[in-house]
Amino acid sequence: MTQHIPEAVFWCLATAAPAAVLLVRQSRISARLRRRLTSSEAALRSREEEVRHLVEVRLAALVETPHGAASVPGPLDAELATTAYGANLEKVVEMFANAAAAARSRADQSAKTALKGAVRALQALANEQQLSISDMQDRHDNPDVLRDLLEIDHANAQFGRRAQAIAVLCGSWPGRQRDASPLIDVVRGATSRIRDYRRVKVHSQMETAVVSRAVEPVVLAVAELLDNAARHSQPNTTVEVGIRPAHNGASIIIDDAGVGMDTHEVEEATRRLSGREDIDINRLGDPPQFGFAVIGVLAARYGFSVSVDTQSPYGGVRAVLFLPNTLLERKAPVEPAAARRTEAPAFPSGTASAGEAAGEPAAPTAPALSLPTARTSPAEAAVRESTAGGLPKRRRREPRPLTPADGATPTDSGPALVRPATETASRMSAFARGTRSGRGASQDSEGNPQE
Amino acid sequence: MTPPRPRRDRGLVRPYVVTDGRAHPTRNTLDLVTLVTAVSGRSLSGLSPEKRRVMELCRGGALSVVEVSGHLGLATSVTKVLLSDLVDSGHISIRPPIPKAQLPDAQLLQEVLDGLRSRF
Repeated sequence: MTQHIPEAVFWCLATAAPAAVLLVRQSRISARLRRRLTSSEAALRSREEEVRHLVEVRLAALVETPHGAASVPGPLDAELATTAYGANLEKVVEMFANAAAAARSRADQSAKTALKGAVRALQALANEQQLSISDMQDRHDNPDVLRDLLEIDHANAQFGRRAQAIAVLCGSWPGRQRDASPLIDVVRGATSRIRDYRRVKVHSQMETAVVSRAVEPVVLAVAELLDNAARHSQPNTTVEVGIRPAHNGASIIIDDAGVGMDTHEVEEATRRLSGREDIDINRLGDPPQFGFAVIGVLAARYGFSVSVDTQSPYGGVRAVLFLPNTLLERKAPVEPAAARRTEAPAFPSGTASAGEAAGEPAAPTAPALSLPTARTSPAEAAVRESTAGGLPKRRRREPRPLTPADGATPTDSGPALVRPATETASRMSAFARGTRSGRGASQDSEGNPQE
Repeated sequence: MTPPRPRRDRGLVRPYVVTDGRAHPTRNTLDLVTLVTAVSGRSLSGLSPEKRRVMELCRGGALSVVEVSGHLGLATSVTKVLLSDLVDSGHISIRPPIPKAQLPDAQLLQEVLDGLRSRF
């Protein structure tokens, strides 16, 4: 019986040993598996985190900021970024950024196009209305009517400026071709377009004029600066505007006594004023703050510069608009309406007598041909009669370039009493010529009252 | 007021800026044909560009209100505001237009003529 014991032991050992080996191996494998499991769980978690970060933070930031992929926060796990997975995520970010930028620019473009069309109609209406208001002001000689018209005029000017500003932001031109105008008129024109125009005090030391093409943009830019200045200061303070000559141009300096701007605002303003930034009209805030953006666009397009980073001696902001010489004419311009009419050069004063004999073909006045000869109204006849007598006494002692020019003014109620004799002579001869040629040309008796 | 009227660029500086928002002249003695003369020897400093131009225009002699407004390219009602300011500050003097000489009645003359004719 005892011989069975070792046998039994042997068999036990024989089965236990492999079992033990197996067990050990098993436990090793399971430990390794566990390790692998935890590590891959960790990897999975980090990838999940990464994806969540991508969706919640990075892509969200991309949607929020207009500046593209540059300003988006980086991935959470730097190690992951080196893997193919990370690279793919980056690719997603990039594609998303591109798509968002494309969508944004498309939206911006279509918004601009739509706005431009709408605003252009408004601008045209404002201009038209201004003309009719001007006509009404001419027509009515009653202070009460004038007061009302001035109010409407003022409101219309502001309305026009707003429309213009939006049009400029949408890439349109400021509109309205103007004649070259003295700087002071440019500033006062800008003053005309803001609400608190009575608080603006202009001091000018210059006779310089702004060239024709730059008048409207400079007016618009100065109007925006003045509007800012007036809006951000107390109603009982004044906005001081100085026009000073500078090294190679001129400066318009606008000082307000308002609250001023903090560093951040100044930075923001400087960025917008530079005109280098793309303007996204959907992102100008609500209500939209387009003043600086408009100035920036205009400054970049026409070559003047604006800065607002100085403090005014009055406590508020000092805005300086610098106009380079290329946008200036040194000499105060002869008013162009005048220039057109002065083409009949000054006659020797002897020809004044030709005016008296206006019925005769006053020979030596050839240049007068260019004057409109068609106007043969009875009023002209009246002019001729009244002119002849008193003229010599009333001639200007100091003829200014403008005076002979305005001659064509009112043909009514005998203001011709004051016309310089030279001009009267030229007009009379033109008139005589016109009458003659008119008679020669047609059979009707239009010209008859004259002779 | 006939339509073809030379305009300087009137759209630029609006009349309310020229008059500083006022529509009522400080005096109502100004008429369209009131004559305006510059008072010599007055300093022009502190005057607005339009007022300076009025002074320049009137320096050579008398102008009527409507002429001044024509030269300035401003409405007459606006010009009146400016001119009354200048009168107040002593820069210009105004006088009513010279009335036509009082001529005897045409009928009276006719009667005299008839009488004379019947006599001789």
